[in-house]
Amino acid sequence: MEVAGARKKKAWKDRRKCRLVLFLFLTFALLFVVIFAERFCPYDPNLQDMSRSLQPPSLAHPAGTDRFGRDMLSRILIGLKTSVASALTLVVIITVTGTAAGVICGFCGGILDSAVMRMADVCLAFPGLVIAMAIAALLNGGITSAVIALAAVSWPKYARIARSRTLTLKSADFIAAARLAGSSSAQIILGHILPNSLGPILVTAVLDIGAMLMELAGLSFLGLGAQPPTAELGNMMSGGRSMLQTYPWVVIGPGIGIFIAVVIFNLLGDAVGECLDPRGRQEKPGNYINRKGENP
Amino acid sequence: MKRCAKVLVLAFGLWLGVLTGCNGPEKAAAKEEKKTFVFGDTTFNPENEEPDVNPHNTYAGWACIRYGIGETLFRYSDSMGMEPWLAAGYEIADELTWIITLRDDVAFTSGRKMDGEAVKECLEHLIEVHDRARGDLMIDTITADGQTVTIKTQAPKPALLNYLSDPYGCMIDMQAGITADGIAVGTGPYRAVSLVSGEELKLEKNENYWNGEPGFEEIIVRAISDGDTLTMALQSGEIDGAYGLPYASYPLFQNEDYTISGCATSRAFFIHMNFESPVIQEAAVRKALAMGIDKEGFVNTLLDGNGYAAAGPYPANVPFGGDAVKTEGYDPEGARRVLENAGWADSDGDGIREKNGKKLEIRWLTYPSRQELPLLAEAAQAALKDIGIAVSIQCTADHNRLRRDPGAWDVYASAMVTAPTGDPEYFFTTHCLDGSSANNGRYHSDRLEELEKELAETFDTARRGELAVLMQQAILDDNAFIFCSHLKMSMIFRAGVTGLTAHPCDFYEITADLAPVD
Repeated sequence: MEVAGARKKKAWKDRRKCRLVLFLFLTFALLFVVIFAERFCPYDPNLQDMSRSLQPPSLAHPAGTDRFGRDMLSRILIGLKTSVASALTLVVIITVTGTAAGVICGFCGGILDSAVMRMADVCLAFPGLVIAMAIAALLNGGITSAVIALAAVSWPKYARIARSRTLTLKSADFIAAARLAGSSSAQIILGHILPNSLGPILVTAVLDIGAMLMELAGLSFLGLGAQPPTAELGNMMSGGRSMLQTYPWVVIGPGIGIFIAVVIFNLLGDAVGECLDPRGRQEKPGNYINRKGENP
Repeated sequence: MKRCAKVLVLAFGLWLGVLTGCNGPEKAAAKEEKKTFVFGDTTFNPENEEPDVNPHNTYAGWACIRYGIGETLFRYSDSMGMEPWLAAGYEIADELTWIITLRDDVAFTSGRKMDGEAVKECLEHLIEVHDRARGDLMIDTITADGQTVTIKTQAPKPALLNYLSDPYGCMIDMQAGITADGIAVGTGPYRAVSLVSGEELKLEKNENYWNGEPGFEEIIVRAISDGDTLTMALQSGEIDGAYGLPYASYPLFQNEDYTISGCATSRAFFIHMNFESPVIQEAAVRKALAMGIDKEGFVNTLLDGNGYAAAGPYPANVPFGGDAVKTEGYDPEGARRVLENAGWADSDGDGIREKNGKKLEIRWLTYPSRQELPLLAEAAQAALKDIGIAVSIQCTADHNRLRRDPGAWDVYASAMVTAPTGDPEYFFTTHCLDGSSANNGRYHSDRLEELEKELAETFDTARRGELAVLMQQAILDDNAFIFCSHLKMSMIFRAGVTGLTAHPCDFYEITADLAPVD
């Protein structure tokens, strides 16, 4: 029985690895397309040609043209670049600031902890997107404003995770040993607490890329994100909204772009989560393996 | 016993079902018998300054006249001339005195006869509460005598009749009052019975209407501010007619199931030049901008043909509009030459011209609530880049604050109805003179000021038209404004309806002529 259990465990582990490799490959493929988007564009994405306005998909324009006669495929590629780059920037900002705030609060405690966490509570008490819309509007729109607005409302999640991990680790024996060995607070945070907290934060960050991409596209759709003529998937969909029934390719193309990017990042997030959190696979229905390695 | 009870309950249920089944169609038939027209409109809402149907409240007069509740003393003809409506005629006693004779057969929906006293009460209330009307009409005194009203103005007011025909001039019964939710009592073919601001207005037929029999017993106006929602409402049959559909939706209704009624209006999309901006102060740059914008392309492609390329502020359907003036045509090659002759050259090869080390960059301010304006900005951005001018667009709802700050923009694109009263003076007094409230770019022209003085005192319509042409040409010669297009206004309605006809002034929609096709 133990042998069978170990085999299943190994098989599951291999499957997880395969999934991770597959989704990492897809993610790198997406990032490759995004980084070299300009090279893949068949036309200048901002080149207007009114005589080719609203042409349906064809060999010359595989995703059709928009109302300015611009090639949709080129704009989708550049739009994907804008959206993914903005989402990644946003996730890096909120991960770094949220984690820093959480670790410092958890480690230092006291008034600083109370003040920052109450601020986080306030942020979490309101619908994030609504506050982000208000902030973006105050900043007069634009993709930078949208990133700042979403960063302002999205950091508390990371601060909470980092703080709770810090509180747990702070009282661990190895931290006490490090103190006894003469390590400073900064050394303890950077050398022991941060590396041991990164797992769940990383999983959350990867899972958040898709969500942030959607939220950025949402703000752009509402006119609070990227401004014309910048190609961004959300504002491209917004621009073509009234043509959904008459010239559907103007909306469907950017929609597919968002769909693909979000699905890839979400699946990667799940795969990373499974690999970094071994308890997760035990709770998977049908694959339950107890602590002894048995599958009852 | 229990079985018997069950049978009784079952029988009662069946009887109830049969009763309901029998009653349903009868009720439905009764509902169908009542001739109701449901109209969807994107503009009837508080954001558009039309919260209700009280013509003395901001721009709510548009709703009052559009939905057939109120009527004015005079009205605009199809060529935007003046014709009597509730008035029978008028006489100019002297430069300051107008004697208006009223029709004898008109009554408000409250039952009160529309006589001189009613008109006097209405106009006195109007100039008391409505700043714009007070400034336009400049009424000094009003006296009423039977069916005659005598109006004395503070200064000669040649366009008084035009201003009286503005929607704020709808005659309402002040004795009947205005309800708290903004319902006024007018003389039109329909009377408002209920209103939920920004949602729905219910109208009922005026049984005693003086000018024919209204075609519907009930009219419901739905405020649907989103154009796509309006499109789907018309497609699904939730509404029978619509105003404000996006142009992109028009192909969905270009078939035998729907009728489209459209005509040119004086709503113009135009660009203000900021004369406090150093780059715009240069005449060559203004000229190149005027030559670099493809108006025909904008109208034909981006407006889907629902407009007309503009030369000046007025459309071709008024005598002083259309080609009566000359302006720069689309000529990118000519624009390049103008810039080159002025010393603007692309020395670093990035496609943007420079002079004295300064790049030729224009800050273009506009706003998104008129969906065509961001399109115009984007089209102009690409066209001007082609001649070596970089354009950065700021499309913001905060434009009303920014346009007052001369340091915040170089050109400002906006839309407005340039001749809402059919008279040319309005555009100049609001936009082009030293004292104009919307002279955003601080434009000044001695010649224009001089011509305006003459226009303000000229009663002769033909001479007013001549002056209007000269004034338009003055601002066009300075390239102080670039007029891109005039909008074609359309209403779309189901084929089973007749009498919904678009009018150049954009004020008249629901009239007594609106009726189901028999």
